[in-house]
Amino acid sequence: MEFKLEAHRIVSISLGKIYNSRVQRGGIKLHKNLLVSLVLRSARQVYLSDPCPGLYLAGPAGSPAAPPQQPGEPAAGPPAGWGEPPPPAACAAWPETEPQPERPADPAPPRVGAAEPAAPVTGAGDALRAGEVEEEEEMETGNVANLISIFGSSFSGLLRKSPGGGREEAEGEESGPEAAEPGQICCDKPVLRDINPWSTAIVAF
Amino acid sequence: MAISRGLARRTVPEAADIISTVEFNHTGELLATGDKGGRVVIFQREPESKNAPHSQGEYDVYSTFQSHEPEFDYLKSLEIEEKINKIKWLPQQNAAHSLLSTNDKTIKLWKITERDKRPEGYNLKDEEGKLKDLSTVTSLQVPVLKPMDLMVEVSPRRVFANGHTYHINSISVNSDCETYMSADDLRINLWHLAITDRSFNIVDIKPANMEDLTEVITASEFHPHHCNLFVYSSSKGSLRLCDMRAAALCDKHSKLFEEPEDPSNRSFFSEIISSVSDVKFSHSGRYMLTRDYLTVKVWDLNMEARPIETYQVHDYLRSKLCSLYENDCIFDKFECAWNGSDSVIMTGAYNNFFRMFDRNTKRDVTLEASRESSKPRAVLKPRRVCVGGKRRRDDISVDSLDFTKKILHTAWHPAENIIAIAATNNLYIFQDKVNSEMH
Repeated sequence: MEFKLEAHRIVSISLGKIYNSRVQRGGIKLHKNLLVSLVLRSARQVYLSDPCPGLYLAGPAGSPAAPPQQPGEPAAGPPAGWGEPPPPAACAAWPETEPQPERPADPAPPRVGAAEPAAPVTGAGDALRAGEVEEEEEMETGNVANLISIFGSSFSGLLRKSPGGGREEAEGEESGPEAAEPGQICCDKPVLRDINPWSTAIVAF
Repeated sequence: MAISRGLARRTVPEAADIISTVEFNHTGELLATGDKGGRVVIFQREPESKNAPHSQGEYDVYSTFQSHEPEFDYLKSLEIEEKINKIKWLPQQNAAHSLLSTNDKTIKLWKITERDKRPEGYNLKDEEGKLKDLSTVTSLQVPVLKPMDLMVEVSPRRVFANGHTYHINSISVNSDCETYMSADDLRINLWHLAITDRSFNIVDIKPANMEDLTEVITASEFHPHHCNLFVYSSSKGSLRLCDMRAAALCDKHSKLFEEPEDPSNRSFFSEIISSVSDVKFSHSGRYMLTRDYLTVKVWDLNMEARPIETYQVHDYLRSKLCSLYENDCIFDKFECAWNGSDSVIMTGAYNNFFRMFDRNTKRDVTLEASRESSKPRAVLKPRRVCVGGKRRRDDISVDSLDFTKKILHTAWHPAENIIAIAATNNLYIFQDKVNSEMH
């Protein structure tokens, strides 16, 4: 269970980094984003698999209870809603993702908010920033768990939204996320906003 | 161990002053630094003189110029940083010095010349350059060269632009002195120093589907003697030695150097800490030095299976990787350096510490580059990081290390025991006066 919490925290931090990379000066750094995506994948694997005490017990792998705070950057802070039941607005997929085996991009049943279109991708801008603030508060266990189920086990999994269908084209499909088919895996606004900047990041390359 | 002299660049730190690269030229007479603001500062070693034995062999500013400016890519709506990523000197072929400097996208060749004489005694012009009244000219004189105050002139001779889609991380001049290569995250290009409108792509690891991307190129260097060989490192921790004689496109390596991962050290961050941040051939050309987040490794070109030596730089950070991931320190790219005789290797760490490892005696030392601990002529005191257990008086505990003070860039004089350490916006030059020749 400890590792699940740690993995969850790492996923939150990683998503934050992917967000921030969009607004960094000098453009998106491919190397750093690749490394972050690898961490994301590892954390996801741990999160979805049963807690295996032997697997990640490499020394004091960092007890999630009190990781040492380094000076400088303010810590991401404990995710809101830690230990609290997910609010009703959040995807109810959390209990459903638990028993799911490690299959990339398994579809979760469509959400109530399926009809709601995704936020437009165009530019970072104020919309995203406002969204980000909202994000931090809404980034609760439920949403993150959903993200974990969406992200596949590869770099491509971060782009893939349709379960079995064709892969999203990496280049030039900026309108893709907006034109998400109904019945997508998760149509919660915050979740889709997470996907959008990443696919835009790929488009940038 | 060494007598020091600190050279500060500014008292108030500004982001643009952060030093981003340090490089000695081939004789060690000149030392170039690049910074985040796109400037290059060249230091020159004062010749040793009997008259002033105290100032023998110290480095003073020789020239400063703006190498790169911020640019904007309108197509992608991206700003291109002016930060100088790397500087490489060309071997000197005449009175002028030349160097290559690069930011994320564009490489420039700069020529540095000295002017210490000027012609005087023109027939048609007077001293200020105004045309003389011809009626006053009664005799013909030959202009003579008179000495003047030294003027260092820097001019951009070539601009190698539009060669890279991704961010350039390294450049390396070939031993043939005619070509050089530049590497970005996914490709390596070969240029001729005289030709700017085209380059040859010699390595391309971009997958057909960017979604399948699993590794990027992190550093590359030409072999110091064999002009056909070069090495490049990857984010997965492997090194590939390539032979340009084998094929035009060197995607297929001649040798692959890779160490199997230690399963007991597996963590979320295993992949990040195994990413190689720097690779350097030894002066002999027989070995390679690599730096990843926690170690430096020496590889023998004749052995691909594993490094022949591994040195722990700061293993006490292994238990703190999650926090270092959070504050982005885990992405710091430390460089490494050989001394002139390939017997000692050096690399930087946090808290303005840098480490040296003697390959023969197997002894290592931690030193600090800071104003407080290095007054001129002072001897540097070895430092120690205590990791629990017995704590000595001057030890620093791991938790009180300052992770904002990182030494990423270091350089070693090609022949003597002189090192240049970049600590954020300050440059420190330390000389070993006891043994001024390498041992």
